[in-house]
Amino acid sequence: MTAIYLVLQCINVTDSILPNSSAAEKWEVQLRKGCLELAILAALWGGRLYGLEILRTLEHESDLIVPEGTIYPLLSRLKALALVESEWVESEGGHPRKYYSITDAGRQRAREMAAIWARFSSSMSRLLAPLAEAK
Amino acid sequence: MSDAEHKIDVYLNEVRSLLRGMGEEQSREIIAELRSHIVERASAGGPLTSANVDAAVATLGSAQQLASEYVTDELLARAEVQRSPFRILDSLFGWASISVAGFVVTITSIVGYFLGGLFVLVAISKPLHPADAGLWALRESTGDLELSVRLGFGTPPINGHELLGWWIVPLGLVIGCGLVVFTTRFALWCVRMYRRSRLLPRRD
Repeated sequence: MTAIYLVLQCINVTDSILPNSSAAEKWEVQLRKGCLELAILAALWGGRLYGLEILRTLEHESDLIVPEGTIYPLLSRLKALALVESEWVESEGGHPRKYYSITDAGRQRAREMAAIWARFSSSMSRLLAPLAEAK
Repeated sequence: MSDAEHKIDVYLNEVRSLLRGMGEEQSREIIAELRSHIVERASAGGPLTSANVDAAVATLGSAQQLASEYVTDELLARAEVQRSPFRILDSLFGWASISVAGFVVTITSIVGYFLGGLFVLVAISKPLHPADAGLWALRESTGDLELSVRLGFGTPPINGHELLGWWIVPLGLVIGCGLVVFTTRFALWCVRMYRRSRLLPRRD
């Protein structure tokens, strides 16, 4: 068990590789990790997108910059869970693109997650109000 | 075939070879999507050149790292639908072959499932072989005491005695099933830890 603990600690060292990361930045990264699935479902809410478009949407709309090698396995998992579905479409450039769209189950999951997010965010805002006033 | 296309093929062939435990159709789909991504990325700023392909591949990470993310995400998706130890072990074997962390977690899970299965088996065997099946304390020739789980095959050992009697039935079932459940949770916890360590969204 000690060996496993050490290995897992080594794996988690990745978190500390962030350049000049302070404790607050690490906390922010953890926070962003937790909402990535919701962010992807929200990005697909308005219509189908392919991988690169999802990355750009997350970057522009939410400041979430996701490593490109991470988004595809995550989309693959969401598809396996039937939260998104995909189709191949020929692009103008001549190569095919895999477009993702949100399913009914995905919309239901996104609504539930968004409700939890709103409730949590609202209660945290109330709790944090004295901190903002103290500035 | 151009040098740029050759580089794409080399990278994708390496990823494909590491996608163990995934179906042929699923692997083909993954490779096709990655090819589309690399071509789009590499040709965004002009023609498809070798340098642009290198840059596009670099943003995806190493083949080993990328395959590892697919395999662990697949495992989590499977586990969310069905927590069968066989399915989890099947995915863990794929992860073990490409990652040290995967290897350690897989070995630990095999031991956990084996012990769990052994305790359940001995509980089932007890009514069939009441004289022999159970948890035995055996005295070795050196004088040391050794614990042995016997399933009821062969003759009862003369240099030992059974410890739990019929209590092995309920205890074996509880401990065995508990070990299987604990091992499954442990394996999934490790995979989630690993995946979280790979997801590093940031704000520039």
